Amino acid sequence: MGRDRTWLLLLPALGLLALLFLGPLAWFLARTLFVETAPAEVPDLFVDVLTARSMQIAALTTFWVSILVTLATLVIGYPIAFYLANRRGWRAALVVFCVIVPYFTSVIVRTYALTVVLGRSGLINELLGASGLIGAPLALLYNTFAIVVGMAYVLLPYMVLTLYATMKAIDPSLLRAGRALGASPLYLFRRVYFPLSVPGVVSGSLIVLILALGFFITPALMGGPGDVTVAMLIERAVEILIDWPSAAVMSVVLLTATLILFAVYARVTDLRRMMGA
Amino acid sequence: MPKLSTTPTRRDLMVGSAALLAMPAVITNPARAATQLRVRTPGGSFDEIKRRTVYEPFLKETGIEIVPVPSTVGKLLAMYKAGQVEIDCIDTGNDANLMLEEAGALVPIDYGAFRYTKLEDIDPSLKLPYQVGSFVYAFVLCYRTDVFKPGSEPKSWSEFWDTQAFPGPRTLAGIESGAPNLEIALLADGVAMDKVYPVDIERALKSMGRIKPSVPKFWDTGALSAQMMADKEAVLGVLWNTRAQASIDGGAPLGIQWNQNQVLVQSYAIPKGAKVPEAALKFIDYSISEDVQKRWLAEYKAIPVNTKVYPHTSKLLLDPATGTPWTVSKGFRNDINWWSANRTKVSRAWSNWVL
Repeated sequence: MGRDRTWLLLLPALGLLALLFLGPLAWFLARTLFVETAPAEVPDLFVDVLTARSMQIAALTTFWVSILVTLATLVIGYPIAFYLANRRGWRAALVVFCVIVPYFTSVIVRTYALTVVLGRSGLINELLGASGLIGAPLALLYNTFAIVVGMAYVLLPYMVLTLYATMKAIDPSLLRAGRALGASPLYLFRRVYFPLSVPGVVSGSLIVLILALGFFITPALMGGPGDVTVAMLIERAVEILIDWPSAAVMSVVLLTATLILFAVYARVTDLRRMMGA
Repeated sequence: MPKLSTTPTRRDLMVGSAALLAMPAVITNPARAATQLRVRTPGGSFDEIKRRTVYEPFLKETGIEIVPVPSTVGKLLAMYKAGQVEIDCIDTGNDANLMLEEAGALVPIDYGAFRYTKLEDIDPSLKLPYQVGSFVYAFVLCYRTDVFKPGSEPKSWSEFWDTQAFPGPRTLAGIESGAPNLEIALLADGVAMDKVYPVDIERALKSMGRIKPSVPKFWDTGALSAQMMADKEAVLGVLWNTRAQASIDGGAPLGIQWNQNQVLVQSYAIPKGAKVPEAALKFIDYSISEDVQKRWLAEYKAIPVNTKVYPHTSKLLLDPATGTPWTVSKGFRNDINWWSANRTKVSRAWSNWVL
């Protein structure tokens, strides 16, 4: 390692990160918490923000929604990843295509598209109404359900690709051995395959959870009046109330929660192994 | 894993997006002008109309090219605090300009330098030290004409609140829009238009609570309000008349009821740190002059700030009973100073009320 200079290759990426992420973040926090706020007032500011009912409920909403989204992507993503890991050919290519392409489309566009599908006179309600299954339109949009659908749709690729990487590394000869010894497919899955895929389940879930915590566009566009997340409160403090110190405190809280989850993620996942090294 | 190269659309997509990204430059820069004036504008159809009726004639007249730039108050403030102001003129709501003024981010308007506009023609309440009105519009009662036949729509905010007589989902401005419709909630509760301020926040939210079960979503942007009405997510709404009219002009089955309208103002300001403040002042002066307001507001359906232009205001905006704009005959003025002093309090009360 001593004479290995490959780390130099990371310099441009690190420079970009420092310039575009760490720099502005430090500027914003320093300016709002140390220049615009008297140092003695900072602890009170934290107490004020953290004890506000709106912040506590928003924090609960944010976590609850993120957990629901994680579970939804896991339930939908696991079978997809399983299929991809065990099949080849044009069908598998088509599935990969369907998982990847939305990933390259703007989140705003995808979220708007979903509002067209879920709305009162949207695709689903029109179809159900025309088939006589429902009398009045269902409330599919502007509630927690809509947010979970929208976010799960956006975050699904992260779950599928993470699970795929783990599943692809599972040695098929283990399954063959199990089958030769008379294990039923269900037993094989429960006792051999699933336990081996657990690292993927854990890291996929953590990635989705981390990304979901900071989501703004989807909850703002698809949620109802009571669906307020921490990211939405931050936006309100910055844009509407021009109360940057409070926004800074909320950002610190959200960033801390994210970093804690990331630390857990880094511990449970050997990143280099996941890259196939 | 199947190779991604079997999916050629990704490349097409990237080439396509690059071309799309370059499009605005092709459209907005027909010729390089001597001076470029970067103006914060609301964008969209607002700019399309204003380009034809104001920006292009202004370029011919003065050689100054208007470059519309999107921005929010937060971003403008961030530019000011970072000492890197990338904008020369601000075209936004008078409440947003007041916020910037209070943050010390604006320079005074030098009315003495006006050449195109006769100052006495401008509504005096809109000629302020740090901002000057560019047009007037209003929160109006908007309804679906396929649900309520014109003439049988709710004619007051109390009727708008009556979900028995006028059933169906509604949408109103929420806290994320900057100023939720507290005044309108008070009017619905029986408060007179001239007694709305100072707003009794508690009473307003209590009144709002009565209609909340019929509100699937409070709107945050004018675009969302119009979208919800067009998609029938709401059959009644509190909308900006300019947005509602644009939807009607686009073919949406919507109608406007002007009774008890809340009068709003779009205004110009010049930020501290503007690179070409003289050009900004010239643009402001030009765009509120009689001829320009006449030409521009014949297409963009808003009420002029230049009182000389009142007789030429679109018929849609005039009360036939009085011959004056509806905002004069049936409206009350939004109080931005009250909002500036109470926005934080409203936000806290709103959060407790909505959750």
